[in-house]
Amino acid sequence: MLKLWKLERKTGEATVAYPFAPLPVNKDMRGKPVHDAAACVACAACAVACPADAIWMSVDPDAETITWNINYGRCIFCGRCEESCPFEAIRLSQEFELAVTSKADLHDQAVYKIQECSVCGRPFAPRKEVDLARRVLDQVVGSAAAWQRDVLDVCPACRRRLDAQRAKASCDAANAAVLLEAIERDAAQAGGADAAGATDAADGGTSAEGVR
Amino acid sequence: MSPKKSPADLTGAAAPSPARGYERICESHVEAVRAAIPGAIQDVAWQTDDQVTVTVNIDTLPDVVAFLYYKRDGWLPMMVGNDERSLCGAYAVYYILSMEGQDRGWVVVRGEVDPVTREWPSVTPLVPACVWSEREVRDMFGLVPVGLPDKRRLVLPDDWPDGLYPLRKDAMDYRFRPEPVSDLESYKFLTETHGKETTVMPMGPMHITSDEPGHFRLFVEGETIVDADYRLFYVHRGMEKVAETRLNYDAVTFLADRVCGICGCAHSVAYAEAVERAQHIEVPERAQWIRAICLEVERLHSHLLNIGLVCHYAGFDTGFMQFFRVREKAMDLAEKLTGARKTYGLNVIGGVRRDILKEQRQDTIRIVRELRAEVRELVDVLMTTPNFESRTKGVGRLDPQIARDYSNVGPLVRGSGFDRDVRFVHPFDGYKALDPSRFKAASQASCDVQGRTLVRIQEFYDSLDMIEALLDGMPEGPILTEGWTYTPHVFGIGATEAPRGEDVHWAMVGDNQKCYRWRAKAATYSNWPTLRFMLRGNTVADAALIIGSLDPCYSCTDRVTVVDVHDGATKTITKDQLETYCVDRTHSPLLDD
Repeated sequence: MLKLWKLERKTGEATVAYPFAPLPVNKDMRGKPVHDAAACVACAACAVACPADAIWMSVDPDAETITWNINYGRCIFCGRCEESCPFEAIRLSQEFELAVTSKADLHDQAVYKIQECSVCGRPFAPRKEVDLARRVLDQVVGSAAAWQRDVLDVCPACRRRLDAQRAKASCDAANAAVLLEAIERDAAQAGGADAAGATDAADGGTSAEGVR
Repeated sequence: MSPKKSPADLTGAAAPSPARGYERICESHVEAVRAAIPGAIQDVAWQTDDQVTVTVNIDTLPDVVAFLYYKRDGWLPMMVGNDERSLCGAYAVYYILSMEGQDRGWVVVRGEVDPVTREWPSVTPLVPACVWSEREVRDMFGLVPVGLPDKRRLVLPDDWPDGLYPLRKDAMDYRFRPEPVSDLESYKFLTETHGKETTVMPMGPMHITSDEPGHFRLFVEGETIVDADYRLFYVHRGMEKVAETRLNYDAVTFLADRVCGICGCAHSVAYAEAVERAQHIEVPERAQWIRAICLEVERLHSHLLNIGLVCHYAGFDTGFMQFFRVREKAMDLAEKLTGARKTYGLNVIGGVRRDILKEQRQDTIRIVRELRAEVRELVDVLMTTPNFESRTKGVGRLDPQIARDYSNVGPLVRGSGFDRDVRFVHPFDGYKALDPSRFKAASQASCDVQGRTLVRIQEFYDSLDMIEALLDGMPEGPILTEGWTYTPHVFGIGATEAPRGEDVHWAMVGDNQKCYRWRAKAATYSNWPTLRFMLRGNTVADAALIIGSLDPCYSCTDRVTVVDVHDGATKTITKDQLETYCVDRTHSPLLDD
């Protein structure tokens, strides 16, 4: 008994003044996720990573918007969103006082416009994501990057069509070049032989077929 | 920092090796089964070095399991049911045996259950430890263990329709909750009173001391408990179903964290290791050490909680307050190391997410020293409190033979003279490196509440020493590996020693990055079935203390209804009344009329 009294005297006051004074927390503690709507490009990496489905994306095709949503009531403070975000647009703060009087207050969102396809007019990707891709491509030189820049605001379906057309065009061009080369070679052979070669030159088309 | 040691120097415990004359770990057990029960074994396959699955002829299954259990020092944490109709055309049952005598390892006895008859011979009559698992498989898969005496539901509620088995692959969406088919509770509580005239004392639906709502019936004669029966699973969350359908296999660690509000880390480590072993993922050593440290930190705060509660139930509330004050330091340490007070969110498949840097290391060492000094003082006070000994000595006796039959775990079984502890029986993670001459499983032979409390106190000190030893020998390097090839439909066992006993997880991953089947066995699942034996012969006033010594999760809710079976009189006692009675043992609420 005496030991206990001594212990209690030594311990003194064990309680803290919270909530009348702020409660210090560890600096590495994972609290409420804070979203930076300006830095976010609505890429949805966090929504994919979130194990609790606290973060999700919703698309309104009529308004042409994509919305980033979070329900703090579902959040388990694991910080997977923070790890997956390429732009540090979401981070876990030190805030732990999340109680609300209305359930709706647990929900937070950020609305982003969607880019329309310049070919078919259908919305296809968050505009900020497209803008970001453009800024990145501006740093890159080369014909491939130039082509990517040209079709940035084209939706994947239309881009496939454009790509197919482009591939066909380049194929045709290559074929034409091969044809031309064959004709020239035949002509050169004919010129180097004798006068009779002049009549063979008429068959140049056939032999070019063979080359092809 | 101490000079860097190579992991080889640190490996104190000898790496598990095959028995003499055999090439592989557990091969001696397989051969023993072959010799004892000829023709039983159909197939043998090793999942990892120390895990072997033996597929047996289903008719010989009970004999094989009983042989391994009693003749080869096997203990049975759980059995698993699995709907493998899409894989092999049948259901499968897996009896997981932890071999703890010679040739230590895991032997899984697998039997295929015909999808038409859906019957298999029950093992429970031979090995009582299977009873809850077999009842659960019957509820969840609709397979019938022929010969299982207890025909009641275990997991499913009374209002659940017949013929709907949630874990069958073709059963239902995880969001579906069928309309209740009954308004009545039809669960029959069983008793063995040997003709004695008893009064029934129901406790529930929320139990006085247990966090999980449970419905208890104490059959009392005067103040003495003659028998007890109970029903749990009122808060069955369907986690296994959610993990198999909604989550990807790599997100299940975060769900596994939430299996328990106290020892979440132990579950997520067990799940991660089950998958890692199945997929042959080499976890970096530094990550293994960090996992072990966090498991020990978890044990610190859990044991302080339980020791505090033992004080509370023995009527020593000052001690309770003091232990909780000190416990706060352990919680703070957990927050420093993992970012959450409950060691949540640390594990991913392939390693851990947070390193222990110099700053955390220094803080940990400081807090560990403070805890050691403060808890030593408190324990000294507790031990010199005469009330503590008189309330705990000889109370809630768990007979060692019953503990053996039911495969109890944790401080409960160690308080009954066994020294089974996963950390030492099947060393994993950083525990592999601990010096076996210095660290041993704590055990007490007194078999009572006092013994269990003393085990916890000893383990608390051991944990502090382990944290220091692990921090000292922590290898350098990465904490996460991400390079592995995903192979579907392979399975593995992960086992950890949670503060309450061993957590065993069995996981089989499937197509589309989903778990095909995940079975999580929490420590207390192995301990509940023996509670009735511990309650028998004790007084009503000690009931809360005995249940407390099991260390289930606590909450103090609701009330108790007392029914006198002979005149049908009912009386409602508040939780405060019963708790006060437990504390000061005067003015029995039963006698107030």
